[in-house]
Amino acid sequence: MKGRYLRFGIAGLAAAAMLMSIPASAAPDMRAAKKEGKILWYSSMSLPITQAVCKRFNAKKTGITCVAHRSGSGKLYRRYLQEAKGGIYKADVFHTSNLGHFLNMKSKKHLVKYVPTGTGNFNPKFKSDHGFWTIFRASMLVPFYNPKKVKASEAPKSWKDLIDPKWKGRIVHSHPSYSGFVTNGMINIVKLHGWEYYEKMAALKPKIMQSALAGIPIVATGEADIGAGTVLYGLFAAINKGEPLKIILPTEGVPLVTSPSGILSKAPHPNAARVFTDFMFSKDNMQFLADNFLHVGHPGVKYPKGLPALSDMKLMSISGKELKKKNKPTRKKFRKLFGV
Amino acid sequence: MTQAVPPIGGLGSTGSASWFRRVDFTSAVWVIVLVLLVLLVVLPIYFLFQESFLRDIDDVWQFSFGNYVEAFSDPIYYGPIATTFVISLFAGVFSLIIGAGMAWCVSRTDMPYTGLVRNSVLAAFVTPPFLGAIAWILLAGPRAGWLNVLFRWITGLSQDFSLFNIFSLPGVIFAITLYTFPLVFIVVLAGLNNISSDIEDAANIAGGGTFSTMINVTLPLVLPALFAGLILAVLEAMILFGIPAILAIPAGYHTMTTQLRQFMVSEDDMLGVAGAYAMPMLIAAIWLIWMRGKALGRRGYATVGGKGGVRRPQKLGSWRYPVFFLCLFPVICTLGLPYVALSATSIMKTLGGGFVWSNLTFEHYIFMINNDGVRESFFNTVGLALMAATGAATVASIASYIVQRKLVRGHSFMGFMATAPIGIPGIVLAVGLFAAYTKQPFVLYGTLWILFLAYLTKYLPLAYQTSNAALTSIHPELEECSRILGANRLQVFRDVTIPLFKAGLIASWILVFMPSLRELSASILLWTTDTKVISVVIIDLYEENLFGPISAIAVTLLVITLLAIAAGFRLVGKDFMKAG
Repeated sequence: MKGRYLRFGIAGLAAAAMLMSIPASAAPDMRAAKKEGKILWYSSMSLPITQAVCKRFNAKKTGITCVAHRSGSGKLYRRYLQEAKGGIYKADVFHTSNLGHFLNMKSKKHLVKYVPTGTGNFNPKFKSDHGFWTIFRASMLVPFYNPKKVKASEAPKSWKDLIDPKWKGRIVHSHPSYSGFVTNGMINIVKLHGWEYYEKMAALKPKIMQSALAGIPIVATGEADIGAGTVLYGLFAAINKGEPLKIILPTEGVPLVTSPSGILSKAPHPNAARVFTDFMFSKDNMQFLADNFLHVGHPGVKYPKGLPALSDMKLMSISGKELKKKNKPTRKKFRKLFGV
Repeated sequence: MTQAVPPIGGLGSTGSASWFRRVDFTSAVWVIVLVLLVLLVVLPIYFLFQESFLRDIDDVWQFSFGNYVEAFSDPIYYGPIATTFVISLFAGVFSLIIGAGMAWCVSRTDMPYTGLVRNSVLAAFVTPPFLGAIAWILLAGPRAGWLNVLFRWITGLSQDFSLFNIFSLPGVIFAITLYTFPLVFIVVLAGLNNISSDIEDAANIAGGGTFSTMINVTLPLVLPALFAGLILAVLEAMILFGIPAILAIPAGYHTMTTQLRQFMVSEDDMLGVAGAYAMPMLIAAIWLIWMRGKALGRRGYATVGGKGGVRRPQKLGSWRYPVFFLCLFPVICTLGLPYVALSATSIMKTLGGGFVWSNLTFEHYIFMINNDGVRESFFNTVGLALMAATGAATVASIASYIVQRKLVRGHSFMGFMATAPIGIPGIVLAVGLFAAYTKQPFVLYGTLWILFLAYLTKYLPLAYQTSNAALTSIHPELEECSRILGANRLQVFRDVTIPLFKAGLIASWILVFMPSLRELSASILLWTTDTKVISVVIIDLYEENLFGPISAIAVTLLVITLLAIAAGFRLVGKDFMKAG
């Protein structure tokens, strides 16, 4: 009898020890989280959706208030590093579209391990094997056109079609220095068609915009007829509103951009950050992202009508390592070719 | 010495008044202002210099010229320098012609509706230039701009023809001029209003016509203000960020400011390169300010004496209405057309749907009202603008008084300090402030204070130039008179100078308040989650492609501005912004 108790005891201790050694999968401490009362979220997801996620979390009345700071991926990364350099730690949860940055941050110990509750059965493309981040959402870089200006039969069918001389002065391209999506897409396309592709693109004298989304109004108003690439979820939101725009799914494939989310090691509200991260990946919130035309890892969500499923598309993707290596040279080369 | 000084004039020798008279705080005030100026101006520049010589070599930060080599050896960075030069030169000259011409018409002629013109220019001044740029894309985009569509509809030309192309160098110069000429207008107007008509009357009596009086009498008298205006316009065009970011980059041009921003948002730490790249701008600005001082020399233009003086308008005769319509034209381009475009966009569901009944909506206004970020940023912006305007007007008036009256040795240094920040692009100033105030024990980052410091420093030269121009024309004889009667410096300043100078003080307050409402280039680097300002919100929305809410905010801002100007008239009377 005594032995059994002892065995139970040892097993219990072992279990407790295991729980302590891998806090990555432990449930967040609600009481400590409530005491912290606040979570600051650095997010590169489009402003209305970022704000809505925060609002939905606050509506749950957990005693924790979500505050969102939305900006572009590159700018958030720069801001975080600058703050860290000055010893200022404000952000708790970090979410951008540049996997390369996350690799840097992991190796410089800016992130802590945490696997959000309920992500076990997620699409493997959305999980990381080390637990420092989980993919919160994914989308693609796609070309698009204005059907009022271009007939469907004349619209480009592939990436190669975009560099046809007939589009000279009629095309808009976003700058990779401001957009992680565009950088990612360019690396994919260069692998496919070489830098020659962008030499020809530069000869078309495209209008250069400062974010992937900024090309949308230019094409919607007819200032340009086609866009060389924008973010699929932003494009669908505009189409859904009734803007005269049509998506192009190039025959070569579409670059997939996955956007990780992680908890910062110097987070001033570490427990609240875990509670919020659990909420981010909850089915309810994942469905909300899907409703906004984003792709997520949760197997149970329903996507809006007309949105191509991940499995229906020919996806092109590059590893975080490759992204990290090619980020800077790609931007430099773009500047050389396009002059800005 | 403890005996009370006999009371002057009608002043009773009540306790506090006599104490105030006995102790001369003059030197203490001078020292405080000087220290403040040094802190405000020198600190960020010092950190800018420091950063420009620091480089990360093998993970160690050390002294190096590497940043300068990197900033000035790559051919891709030469272009922006030339572009900036061309833009600021042309925009400066055009602004001078338009601004000074309009100021003369408003101040010196019997042109009808001068009040309307003056207030429209004021409203133009508070319109954020980046909003204007966004509106002008809708108006003068080469293919879909409304003006071009109208032009093609009238002429029947095909889509390859366009009358205007806002995405071009002339387009950028045009847009910048629209938002820098009000600076010249305000400065020159203040100068003109300080010249009494006696002198012009004398010219008229001696047989000079309207035009020759203007050229031979009024113009030389207003020369200091003209120079001040031109320099302000050239510098403002040089350091402007919003318009080039929105119009020049799509056209394939970088200016120095957008290039600086590119360094700053780069994923690598390019703070030092940005610091090095900012140096030519700093040098150019200092050179311009020095040239201005040299050109004006020691010539005095004291025209406000103790002998009164009336301003009488020049007769334009049959030219009254043509001149009025000519003055209206820049205002239409700055305010009328853009706000028509923005108002229309603010109630359009989709941009591509056109201005038809089925495409109209109020959803953008609802978005704006329901958005916490927008609401908070409105409060932050207005609070900051109030603080910055009060701070800058106070510091600037004291500093310009010291400089004008040559009260302390090295007074010209003080003047230099107060004008120097104009050569620091907002975005560079922000870098300096960031470096200075993210370190213990003065962690101001993340508070409104760091933005306050940025605004105060950035707009100090505006306030200083205005105070200076106004003070130049107040003859010291009035002050000397009170000094002889026994008042000390501070008393003279309070009882004689300030009342004479009130209009100049108000003008400099407004000159800081209005641009503070729309400050972008420093804010874009210093904002944090709790300290967002409206300009940053608008740029955010622009990058997110939310033209509707931007337009709704723009229209709301305009309404607030017009209300503020109306309130100004109520409070200050018709002398509001009339300077003199």
